[in-house]
Amino acid sequence: MMQLLNWLRRGSLERGLDRELQYHLDRRVADLSASGIPEPEARRRVAAELGLALVREEVRDVWLTRWFRDFLYDLRFSARSFLRSPGFTAATLLSLALGIGATTAIYSLVDQVILHALPIRDPARLVLVDWNGDQVAGGFGSWNLMSYPMCRDLQQQTRFFDGVLCRAETDVNLAAGGDPKPVAAEIVSGSYFSVLGIGPALGRVIEEPDDAAPGAGPVVVLSNDFWQAEFGGVADIIGRKLLINQHPMTIVGVAPAAFHGVDVGAVPALWIPASMYAEALPGAEDLLRRPTIWMQILARLPPGLAAAQAQAGLQPWFKAWLRDNMLRPGFPIISGERRRDYLASTVELTPAPQGHSPLRRSLSQPLWLLFAATGVLLGLACLNVAGLFLARGSARGREIGTRLALGASRGRIGRQLIADSLLLALAGGVLGAAVAPLAIRALIAFLPHDLASSALSGTLSLRLLIFAFFTSLAAGLLSGLAPALHASDGSLVSSLRERAGTGFGGVRLRKCIVTLQVAFSLMLVIGAALFVRTLTGLLAKGPGFDTSSLVSFSLAPRKNGYSAVDSVRLIDRVHDAVRVLPVTRGSGIARNGLLTGGAWNGGITIQTDRRFTTDRLVNLNAVSPGFFATLNVRLLAGRDFDQRDSRPAGEPGRPCAIVNEAFVKRYLTGRDPLGVRVGLGSGPDVKPDIPIVGVVTDFNYRGLREESEQAFFPIFDNDDSGATFYVKIRGTPEQAFQAIRGLVRNSDPQLPILGLRTVEEQVTRSLNTERMLAALSGSFGALALLLSLIGLYGVMSFVVTRRTREIGIRLALGATGASAIRLVLRDAVAMIAVGIAIALPCVAALGKLVQSQLFGVTATDPATVASAALVLAAGALAAAFIPAWRASNVSPTDALRLE
Amino acid sequence: MPSPRFPIPQGTLDMLILQILSLEPAHGYGIAQRLEQISRSVVQVHQGSLYPALHRLQQKGWLRAEWKQSETGREAKFYSLTHAGRRQLAVEKNSWARLSGAVKLIFEEGSR
Repeated sequence: MMQLLNWLRRGSLERGLDRELQYHLDRRVADLSASGIPEPEARRRVAAELGLALVREEVRDVWLTRWFRDFLYDLRFSARSFLRSPGFTAATLLSLALGIGATTAIYSLVDQVILHALPIRDPARLVLVDWNGDQVAGGFGSWNLMSYPMCRDLQQQTRFFDGVLCRAETDVNLAAGGDPKPVAAEIVSGSYFSVLGIGPALGRVIEEPDDAAPGAGPVVVLSNDFWQAEFGGVADIIGRKLLINQHPMTIVGVAPAAFHGVDVGAVPALWIPASMYAEALPGAEDLLRRPTIWMQILARLPPGLAAAQAQAGLQPWFKAWLRDNMLRPGFPIISGERRRDYLASTVELTPAPQGHSPLRRSLSQPLWLLFAATGVLLGLACLNVAGLFLARGSARGREIGTRLALGASRGRIGRQLIADSLLLALAGGVLGAAVAPLAIRALIAFLPHDLASSALSGTLSLRLLIFAFFTSLAAGLLSGLAPALHASDGSLVSSLRERAGTGFGGVRLRKCIVTLQVAFSLMLVIGAALFVRTLTGLLAKGPGFDTSSLVSFSLAPRKNGYSAVDSVRLIDRVHDAVRVLPVTRGSGIARNGLLTGGAWNGGITIQTDRRFTTDRLVNLNAVSPGFFATLNVRLLAGRDFDQRDSRPAGEPGRPCAIVNEAFVKRYLTGRDPLGVRVGLGSGPDVKPDIPIVGVVTDFNYRGLREESEQAFFPIFDNDDSGATFYVKIRGTPEQAFQAIRGLVRNSDPQLPILGLRTVEEQVTRSLNTERMLAALSGSFGALALLLSLIGLYGVMSFVVTRRTREIGIRLALGATGASAIRLVLRDAVAMIAVGIAIALPCVAALGKLVQSQLFGVTATDPATVASAALVLAAGALAAAFIPAWRASNVSPTDALRLE
Repeated sequence: MPSPRFPIPQGTLDMLILQILSLEPAHGYGIAQRLEQISRSVVQVHQGSLYPALHRLQQKGWLRAEWKQSETGREAKFYSLTHAGRRQLAVEKNSWARLSGAVKLIFEEGSR
């Protein structure tokens, strides 16, 4: 540190030393003159006695250690020599900046989505409490679902926990003066903030009394961002009233700016106590007492207790709890076999310093893959720079030889080369860090949901800068190492004897580097080809229904204060109005939207000549008459639902079901599915009394990848949770959007329209991850290819230059141009072949890692691998051909005259 | 002509500088002269090694320096002892006394 300071003020230090020594000299000369020695003689003696130059050097050594000073000189020398060869400098800087920028950008997402611990007190002690086994409970939500009573019971286990919280995410309709609009909310237990150790930025947080009994706490805590965005950050926000799903609630506090909830993928605008579940989740019943699973449970371990210990300690209590739980209201009647499964359940604690996140679940593999790909890309860039350095090293052979001859140590020369590459890499790192925010924002645009704006940030954090710095440092060392090692061996005499421009070959090293580059880039190109094929395959396949001219939107009237009956009436009324719109060609509604990633599912009991249940979950939906026709889904047998099937809640009607082809194939092969009776659920109490009236072709429900058995029931069959409308339109989507907006506003101006968009856009959205993988791996593959082709071209041109004389002699002796080309290409072919031979086993080994991200193609698909290898080989041969062709055009006389 | 003076033992120059400066602040030339006088020309201090030593001691925080008018009226860089320097001098004096005492003991033991 001190050294750096000294270096910065070295000018004034030098001046000070000069003055000090000058004073000494003058006084000494004056003293000697006074004692009778003539002044010239005195000056000579004083100079000899003091040894000015040596003193200066030694004092400088005190200021800055020798090593540091030499290194600074090296850097300065490097900078000067780089400025002298701008082409070389630009090429290396660009490849390093690309590599470092890409790696930093992907790392930013890896950090934010996967690695970053929550900004809470001691996140390392936070664990996720999960159920391992059959919960025998209905529920809703994403993953790791548990019930509220379970959380309450865990809170009694103070021996193992310093606090237990539960939470669930949802959307609520929020009105603060204006029209209601949907915002993300987190429903939390009263212990939530205290367990996380989060205090208020303003007012107070949600506390235990707010969650004491149903309806006890009509209060909300706002997130800092929402407070700023929606209320301009005014200080007198505390005590204001809001309408949440048309129920008044009071704002009691604002959370700190850094805190965004416990799920990186679902950033809430506000927090609501679980006691207000009925208001926040219209239609939900008795969630605080029943074992319905809908929340995630997180707990804080006491200091000194490991998750495994707590988990082991909890099991006896949990066994007893399982038995007690069977006596609770709402516990279903189950078969003996299921009861055994249920009683064998265990409770599982997993460390969760990063909180709970379904997004992490779905994105962590693609992100790690991309991170690995950027790592390889950066490695390629380093190899390229190393190759360029070796080339430059051979041009500087004479200079280095001369320095060695003048007594420079080989270590010193090696250090000079390391300084070269470090300087370049750090400059590349600065450039990379400068472009990284742009790259991160581009990356975020690929991500699913509308997460981009809220949850992830595109700014450079300190962590990211540190990462970029160390990446650059590693890149610098990596790319400088080979040339430095190379420079410090090799014969001094021979390098001096060789003519300028040909000495210091390093050809073998450069060939190795190029071979490695070929191998690396082939891996990336194959990866890119696989992901592109996955995306195009999915797009070509489509969702199995006709998406052209199809738009969709959802309504959730229960969140705007509608009763169950009114909600159904409103949806019915809107549907009637949609049907007669001039832009409408056909329309249908479904309880659950398609291609959103979610689904309603459950077991089905089937009664044929015997009674059996489905061996896996069947995806379920409730649809209106005309839904299949609107989507152009073909009816293979039987009939569609009609108006008599689809009736409002509470009114008796004919129960009936339609299943898809896959369902018939799995459970009803070889028999007529029509008339077979099924029941919803798989328990012994289920009555299979719903006849199958139709069979439709398969189409996708959750997403494009999933093929599943599906069963459909008439909509409004005990249903009030809203609906998704599908409208086949004529004209442009914009006209349809306008008509639909006007229509819904006429029915209820306060009701938000959710997700109004074309179904084609929905398809695109559902393929975000695939698109990200394809686009990024594609560009990484292209970059890698480019880098290795440049590398190959470089080394081949060098070889040709070196062998110009030999080739000239061969030509003079009667060799043909073609044989000269063959001579050069033979080298290139060997490198390419070895590179491919290295890459193929690696591809086979790495294939397992990517397989789950692929669709319709295996990781070692021979056609893909072969075509990628072919593209690479063709490109590489083309790159090598240019210097080869130059070789064949060597004029023998010129070549000989070169001497 | 071989010098009757012997070169200053390694590591003792720092101690001598601290000792001289403990009496009063001085500039480099002053310290050189005083070294010459105090050691009664027995110890030979190479003038060139004085300045690196001064800068080293300053870097360690044992000396502080300021430009002041010297006895000839010109500005000179005067060094003086800091608190840390005073403490260091005490430490070095102590260890020197113990070392020379030990050496003396060994010599007496050997001559008996």
